[in-house]
Amino acid sequence: MSFFEALAAGFGLVAQWESLFFLALGIAVGVFAGAIPGMSATMAVALTLPFTFALDPIFGILLLLGVYKGGIFGGSIPAILIRTPGTPASSATALDGYPMAEQGKAGKALGMALYASCIADFVSNIALIVFAGWLAQFAMNFGPPEFFTLIVFSLTIIAGVSGDSLTKGIVSAVIGLLLATVGLDLIFGTNRFTFGNANLMGGLNFIAVLIGLFALPEIFAHVRLPRERDGKVRGLGHVGVAFDELKRCFKSIFRGSLIGVFMGSIPGIGAAPSAFLSYSEARRTSPNQANFGKGEIEGVAAAEAGNNGVAGATLIPLLSLGIPGDVITAIIIGAFMVHDLQPGPMLFQTHADIIYALFIGLIVSSVLLFFIGSVAIRGFRYVADIPPNLLFPSVLVLCIFGVYAVNNSAFDVGVMFAMGLLGYAMVLLRFPPAPFLIAFILGPLLENNFRQSLLMSQGAPEIFTRGPITWTFWALTLLALAFIIRTTVSNARLKRRLREESRRHGEGQDEATG
Amino acid sequence: MKRKIIAAALGATALVTGPALAEYPERPIQMVIPYGTGGATDLSARALSNPLGEIVPEPIVLSNRTGAGGATGSVSVRDADGDGYTLLFARVGSHSVNPAMKATLPYTIDEFRYVGVYEINPVVCAVAEDSDIESMDDLIARVNEAPGTVLFSSSGVGSLLHLAGAMVLDAFGVENPLEDAIHLPMDGGGAAATAVLQGTATFICTNSSALASFVQNEQLNPIMVTTPEPLEGFDAPTARELGHPELEQLVGWTGIAGPADLTDEAASAWEGWLAEAVQDEGFLDFMDQAGSQVDLMSPEESVEFINGQYETFRELVVELDMEVE
Repeated sequence: MSFFEALAAGFGLVAQWESLFFLALGIAVGVFAGAIPGMSATMAVALTLPFTFALDPIFGILLLLGVYKGGIFGGSIPAILIRTPGTPASSATALDGYPMAEQGKAGKALGMALYASCIADFVSNIALIVFAGWLAQFAMNFGPPEFFTLIVFSLTIIAGVSGDSLTKGIVSAVIGLLLATVGLDLIFGTNRFTFGNANLMGGLNFIAVLIGLFALPEIFAHVRLPRERDGKVRGLGHVGVAFDELKRCFKSIFRGSLIGVFMGSIPGIGAAPSAFLSYSEARRTSPNQANFGKGEIEGVAAAEAGNNGVAGATLIPLLSLGIPGDVITAIIIGAFMVHDLQPGPMLFQTHADIIYALFIGLIVSSVLLFFIGSVAIRGFRYVADIPPNLLFPSVLVLCIFGVYAVNNSAFDVGVMFAMGLLGYAMVLLRFPPAPFLIAFILGPLLENNFRQSLLMSQGAPEIFTRGPITWTFWALTLLALAFIIRTTVSNARLKRRLREESRRHGEGQDEATG
Repeated sequence: MKRKIIAAALGATALVTGPALAEYPERPIQMVIPYGTGGATDLSARALSNPLGEIVPEPIVLSNRTGAGGATGSVSVRDADGDGYTLLFARVGSHSVNPAMKATLPYTIDEFRYVGVYEINPVVCAVAEDSDIESMDDLIARVNEAPGTVLFSSSGVGSLLHLAGAMVLDAFGVENPLEDAIHLPMDGGGAAATAVLQGTATFICTNSSALASFVQNEQLNPIMVTTPEPLEGFDAPTARELGHPELEQLVGWTGIAGPADLTDEAASAWEGWLAEAVQDEGFLDFMDQAGSQVDLMSPEESVEFINGQYETFRELVVELDMEVE
């Protein structure tokens, strides 16, 4: 089959009302599921899988992809409205999205999240179609040493999400690293900090930590000081995104999309590091740097772009090599296999029509996501108008049930409350939670890849500088460190000068009055 | 909510007809999958639950309780009531490899009552297509000539892949399999296969289903299968042809188990339901696609099979000093 014949056959497969129907249905299911805290995109895809068995292959796969894409965007809705990220990846969205909602700009934040998601999704799909073969080959050069250096570099994000004090950010990250060690050691299989408890052997549940750390402190704060909170009117969040705001964020959205494509094409990284990296890059280069973390719309745009840029790109290793990049694509592979399609290089030859139908379907999905997302936002943004004394108890119920549902485990609910107390203590002491989360996600990857590398080299550290990829990441890490030190020093200087000036000013006043 | 969704998803077919009799089952049955969504156990369980939903008079609720190589979910079922409303999808990793290897495991295989093993997954050893190793002989020669240069990847300590790599090398006469070859634990089965594909590890021994697409796409080259008969789609000699029939013990499996005090009423009901469910065409098709052999064992055969495999593995673990403290 020639390229054009395959393309035409692909069009034939997609240009049926069923294709569009299942894609739209999938996106709608995904957005809705993603918007429920604790109900992740992964779960939604897993629950949809059995329904695809009876469908035509292309319909089934489009349905699953729709759920996947919708679910990733849907996660940003509770992150913005109630600071309850549905997935780890949308916790970067909460950093600026929730402050915006508190300022009465929920509609704006959700709108920007949708624009950024759709644009990044579109860029990611184009990258998949054009660069799949090339990026897949590149990703195959990533062994444990390359992963290790990539993660070392990613840890420099912590400086970007630490807020006012880098020291506090680092302390927060260290606590995250420490808690990530709970559970079975990957290399030797021994128990670490489990205290003989079978529940702890699996480590601390991700979603429980996430929701405990971000959502519960808000609720605790409200319970403790209800009057102060009640006085604050959140206002109606029904203002959309202005065009010049979108224009201003466009650079960050595009950069975030590219970061997402890169991170997504490497199996095993996932969307969360990508969202945080995109966010911290946007903050670093933005003229509004000081406003990040306090309700900056560009922060929402960058985080969502980094998050959704991954969605199309994770299909690169899936389709071109047959490798699932994350849990969701592993489930999608299952759907391929049910229909006797083996993802991998041969699929392009044996079932080129399916591949092109998928490509066309993916492009359409970005557009459908835009329309379905707009409708969803219109419905969900009223959440921002609910008075706090109704909203917070409902959020608490949702959190408990969401965390319980992940693993059907009451223990996880306990973990969530413990993390909530920790998170609240961190809020009171002004420790930022984002570095904690990044370290919690990246910590195990850092450790495992480090030890796998040393197993490969039998203890010789030279393995960490093998080849150009490791060198590139070491160089990037050094650059990032130099930049962080420079900003820290100049900030300290600026603060000192401000202090001196105000003192001199004060002295001058004293003289005048004295 | 999730329960409701699953119940709706699976139970859409499970028409709850007839009056609620005062006999088992009177209410929905929870079935714990001790591994994550999308994994081999999960897919197998969900495929089986489709016909089961039509056969079992009450809805079946699947729930994944992941963690610690299946231990977290297994313990939750061991500690449950034996009334038949909490059952487990037991797997080779959680119920023979882990118990054989881990001294600290919080359960033993005797603490469960097995209703039936219903699928067997053959094990295949494979190398990358561009590797200069083309047979088991090449592999063994490499391990002996240049100790420490051959790596095998697994989905973690105490996984079937870990034990399989060591067992195969041991059977072929490598003296210190875990010193001359290096075990590289990866985070999950997908990552383990990828490691061989991209050259980080030299070989992998795992379930045929995990390798089928790579072999079909000519990315991996199979060098041995552990089935008695040649395996369709895998152009490699059997262990028996290579003179090691003892490696036929090396297979993956999935079965259903309850706590040790599972009532006779529930156990016999499940025996019947399982026998009917494994006849389902959709289920058989799916398992065939996944490269599994559907082979329902009676409770007695299941116990004998699991204990036999455990003993073989345990012996190897002691011999090679593989025990995890």
